Amino acid sequence: MILDSDAAQKADTLGSPHREDPDLLAIRDLSIEIRSGDRIVRPVSNVSLRLRRGETLGVVGESGSGKSMTGLAIMGMLPAGGIVTSGSITMDGKELIGMPESDYRAVRGNDIAMVFQDSLSALNPTRRIGDQVAEPILLHLGGSKRAARQRAEEVLALVGLPRPSEKMNDYPHQLSGGMRQRVMIAMALACEPRVVIADEPTTALDATIQAQILDLLNDLKSQLGMAMILVSHDIGVIAGHADRVAVMYSGRVAETGLTPTLFGDMRHRYTQSLLASIPTITHDKADELFSIPGSPPDLAMPQVGCPFAPRCAAATDLCHEAAPGLTLEAAGHSYSCWHPATGPSAPMRSRIATATATIAGPEATPRLSVRNLVREYPVGGSTLFGGRKTVKAVSGVSFDVAAGETFGLVGESGCGKSSLGRMIVALDRPSSGEVLLAGDSVTRMGSRELGRRRAELQMMFQDPLASLNPRMRIETILREPLDIQNIDTRGQRAIRVRHLLDQVGLPAGVMERYPHELSGGQRQRVGLARALALNPLVLVADEPVSALDVSVRSQVLNLMRRTQHELGLSSVVISHDLAVVRYLADRVGVMYLGKLVEVGTCDEVYSTPAHPYTAGLLAAVADTDPLAADRENGTAVRGDLPSAITPPSGCRFRTRCSQASELCAVVEPPLESISGTHQVACHFPLVPKQIASPTTT
Amino acid sequence: MAWYVLRRLAISILVLIGITAVVYFLLYFVQGSPGRAVLGQRASPESVAAFNTEHGFDRPVLVQYFSYLGQLLSGDLGQSYKLNQSVATLLGQNAARSAMLSLAALVLALVIAIPLGIWQAVKRNTVGDHLATAASYTLYATPQFLLGLILIAIFSQAIPLFPSQASQSPSPWVIFTDPRSMTLPVITIALTSIAVFARYQRTATLEQLGQDYIKVARAKGLPERMILTRHLLRNSCQPLITLVGLSVPALLAGNLIAETVFNYSGLGLLFLNSLQREDYPVLLAYTLIGGALTVFGNFLADVALAITDPRIELSA
Repeated sequence: MILDSDAAQKADTLGSPHREDPDLLAIRDLSIEIRSGDRIVRPVSNVSLRLRRGETLGVVGESGSGKSMTGLAIMGMLPAGGIVTSGSITMDGKELIGMPESDYRAVRGNDIAMVFQDSLSALNPTRRIGDQVAEPILLHLGGSKRAARQRAEEVLALVGLPRPSEKMNDYPHQLSGGMRQRVMIAMALACEPRVVIADEPTTALDATIQAQILDLLNDLKSQLGMAMILVSHDIGVIAGHADRVAVMYSGRVAETGLTPTLFGDMRHRYTQSLLASIPTITHDKADELFSIPGSPPDLAMPQVGCPFAPRCAAATDLCHEAAPGLTLEAAGHSYSCWHPATGPSAPMRSRIATATATIAGPEATPRLSVRNLVREYPVGGSTLFGGRKTVKAVSGVSFDVAAGETFGLVGESGCGKSSLGRMIVALDRPSSGEVLLAGDSVTRMGSRELGRRRAELQMMFQDPLASLNPRMRIETILREPLDIQNIDTRGQRAIRVRHLLDQVGLPAGVMERYPHELSGGQRQRVGLARALALNPLVLVADEPVSALDVSVRSQVLNLMRRTQHELGLSSVVISHDLAVVRYLADRVGVMYLGKLVEVGTCDEVYSTPAHPYTAGLLAAVADTDPLAADRENGTAVRGDLPSAITPPSGCRFRTRCSQASELCAVVEPPLESISGTHQVACHFPLVPKQIASPTTT
Repeated sequence: MAWYVLRRLAISILVLIGITAVVYFLLYFVQGSPGRAVLGQRASPESVAAFNTEHGFDRPVLVQYFSYLGQLLSGDLGQSYKLNQSVATLLGQNAARSAMLSLAALVLALVIAIPLGIWQAVKRNTVGDHLATAASYTLYATPQFLLGLILIAIFSQAIPLFPSQASQSPSPWVIFTDPRSMTLPVITIALTSIAVFARYQRTATLEQLGQDYIKVARAKGLPERMILTRHLLRNSCQPLITLVGLSVPALLAGNLIAETVFNYSGLGLLFLNSLQREDYPVLLAYTLIGGALTVFGNFLADVALAITDPRIELSA
């Protein structure tokens, strides 16, 4: 391991032509252990990183790659049982490791600040946000309470919180997710730190809000002259906003380099595989995604050799036996790999026909038909004098799905896509409207008939760990639907379970296991197998890969695409991720605040978006495409999602639309065909309506 | 907030009326003839009948109930025929004394249990935490009368620090005028509560310590002590508030034992004596007070929660 640190230091000297040390923060050979009982986990091993003045260093990796732990180590905030076993972290030449706690506290929030992932609990729920932002100011800069509050208000204005003087007195729950994240940033920047560590700052946020927050961080960074470490699992986020990137895997830095070099000419096999396994909105659908076999290693096990070797296609005996040292490619570009690649891998031709299997002609009854579906949920206690408020989750959605067709539903959180999915599989009853399964109204079925027909409507859930009963073995989980529907004899059911596992690429050995004994990817395969157990006609998959690690997603995505085509399933794929939907679906519906605003084939919607909202979503995603050439941001969606309790009049998107006119506030645009299968609900679509369609004035 | 309090108050009153109905009818069927109970086994059937007629006990039960409700509304809790005193007077004498005892025990329990619970959570799974946990379980499992007797044996007999009997002065303020004599009764009641409260506080604190805002506070550079007092305390005391609200009537029951052991005349002792005397009007009133305290305790807890947690009013 001495080799590693030597090489890292060499990299340092080579990368710094000036006499003055350009590194604001330098991590050398950092190793961390976390002890709990007899278990020792090594989340970070021999990591060397450096951060120059004014730059953004992106640290990208999956869960367990050690990226967050590195950030916490810089803050001196390792979790209970965590210790730095070797290495150093220096800021401006001053050693941070081993610094007395009271001195460290003066650094935290003052010289180095951290922005955490937005979650409802990231801000203290019982204190006003003004006080929370003023707190570090009072602590580090001193002065009067009044002055600190004044400064807090300035910072809140700086991060773009509207009407900061009023919002100072709000509690966190009164703000939207995007606004809370702005408050969190204000809190970190209040003392004008020299280094900001942003740990998954936008992971919990919607695409349009994510773009806003990342741009804000970028602006503030240059405005205040800070350096930033941007930690994320999302390669797109890193690619769009970092000057240099470090790719971490299994507690080690696999590769670091300038952003364009790293993504355009990577050397490490992991970087190459990871990039090839992520669907993008420009990816050719005829190509199957590369999938990395297996899952990341258990960090409690001692590691021999290259940690990626067990999953690497290029691995040789050498890789399994010895850990590769750091190789310096060019100024600033270094990697640890025995068999370096030369840039991105070539796309893989799909083994399946991509032309949509068999979509029946329009005269046939659609497999699934959603008719004017409405769902309103009452909120709060009823007041004594009636007048209950309702959340308008789904407000009149209609679409058809043909046999063998996959329909994608995209939209941000709160747009009603999950409520819609639940109604399709009859887990929830619509307030009005109906769902037709092969022409029969599921909504009007009695419970007995519905019980039988449920076999034809199955659902795959987002979080496989939460949706599989933790006390049931996999075999029982897969057999239960067959037992309930009373299908086959006992022996035949056992055979069917085996067949199902085979179908989703799991060994028969997992039958005896419990869900927690499987990896995330394996669990989601079980989730798919469970949904397929009854040979459904319609499969609804709600965020099927959102809970999975990046390197595991493509395994599940490829599997889903293959099964859809093999079984001739009609599927509805629900996701906030435009690229995932594009990869799986034949046709797409874009939802906004309970309504479909645009429907069309993938090509129509993704290449010629007609609704300003769709265009905005696509722009927000293109902004984070690692290989995207241009990053213009003209069509960005401004502001926050309005309340679904009192949605805007007329067009629901008008409050965030740059094209909105008075007409939009008065008349609600109907979903109209603009060409062929392409429909849009907009008064001023971005694509002109064809003359063939019924004209409106 | 005002609307929330009003709504809760309205619901509380409805619940209370429900309690009176249940308790009244239960006791009506248990007690048989009130005249017989008052006049004794040897009284002639005629005089019993005359007593019942005179006091309206021969009317249909529903009529009796509504006339009782009417009396309650005008503040008349009935008449103890055994002691020949109005129930209101009897309760008035004792309620204040019991309340002072309970209050003192409750305050003592909270003052000890909240810091103890937080300390245990911060020092989780250390020897100190395990010891405190063991002590909590032991205390909780020990019957309260035994606890009182043990305390007397140790602190009154083996080491004569405190008297074994509570003050006999009728003043409700004896806790302040004669604190020594009240020490053991207060501790007896408090100990059991400390055990339960500290467990709750520990669990709640552990949960809050895992929340992100604690990490955020640390990243601001706040010292641990300030994180605990400024950020954690208010968020972690909410389960305890609910529990304290629920345990208000239980304190009354705790009084019953402590008052008996230490011979302190309060509601508990009055209840016990009335039970032996089959003095139903007093028992009825006592049970009603228990019910009212339950409702009141919950109401107080809900208001306290709404004050400490700004999110609660929304879900009212």
